[in-house]
Amino acid sequence: MGLITEKTPLPKLQPVKFILNWGRRYSLWVMNFGLACCAIEFIAASTSKNDFIRLGVIPTAHGPRQADLLVVAGTLTDKMAPALKRVYEQMPDPKYVISFGSCSNCGGPYWDSYSVTKGVDQIVPIDVYVPGCPPRPEALLHGIIELQNKIKDEDIEEKFGGKVQPAVS
Amino acid sequence: MGRSSPLSPDEAGSRLRARFGSDVVDVAEQHGHIVATVTRERYHDVCRFMRDEPELACDYADFTSAVDWGEERGFELLTHLFSTVHHHNVRLKVAVPYDDPVVPTVSDLWPTCDWHERETAEMFGIRFQGHPTPVKLLLAEPFEGHPLRKSFPLMTREAKPWPGAVEGEEVEEE
Repeated sequence: MGLITEKTPLPKLQPVKFILNWGRRYSLWVMNFGLACCAIEFIAASTSKNDFIRLGVIPTAHGPRQADLLVVAGTLTDKMAPALKRVYEQMPDPKYVISFGSCSNCGGPYWDSYSVTKGVDQIVPIDVYVPGCPPRPEALLHGIIELQNKIKDEDIEEKFGGKVQPAVS
Repeated sequence: MGRSSPLSPDEAGSRLRARFGSDVVDVAEQHGHIVATVTRERYHDVCRFMRDEPELACDYADFTSAVDWGEERGFELLTHLFSTVHHHNVRLKVAVPYDDPVVPTVSDLWPTCDWHERETAEMFGIRFQGHPTPVKLLLAEPFEGHPLRKSFPLMTREAKPWPGAVEGEEVEEE
């Protein structure tokens, strides 16, 4: 996917765009950046009862270099923030980030803490925010479906035209 | 090793007073624990006595922390000890003045206290004299200030006050 450039004629064709986006949105290798209790809900979503594998989300990529989707689940502290940025930068394009839970959305119950980063979107760009404290596994499934709808309508040329989205510094 | 019965606070108090006299400010009992308040000057000696005296034998240091009682009363250093021989809990309290927050380290007696003292140092700004590695433990290195002091401002609350009642603060009447 990363090989598509401006000179590639194929993605301009609507059926090709459809098929590429269809393939990408149903094989999302996920990396769980689990930082707190939200990570447990993420694990619950991956197991047989809720089972996000049926949506095409494949749990536990071997590392960030094999992952397409990063789920930031939990409380990010200022000390941990450089590690998150590094993990994000190791992921190959195209990459997507779901912010899972109130803490990673905006600081949540730690909104006035001295050590918590108030919003992961200050560190990496976020595609989907899942609210809740912690959100139920169903909420993550909903968030994944929202992300897949977003991928479905993506303009491949715009996304992979050699212009890499810079991470928010 | 024979398991003997725990020392009562009175017995521990009399042993401490016999050894340290007026440097033991107060001995009390809380929740079945021996609570001894000692002076800062003899804190290290009391700790060594607690560890080495066979009848006390506090061979395990549970934690070291502190309480900020404000500028007038200063800090209160707490060290919780436990004896795996006699099964008694001992809490040592040391009053530390606000403008001179220096305490001798006890990490040479119990290595456990090393990290606890580092945490107490960064959170309260209490300096532990003789500590082998006096650097931050939990906070990021560029962090400024001591967040568990009552005087530490929460910048987010400065911008947007907490809408509900805050514990310890008086509710304004309209």
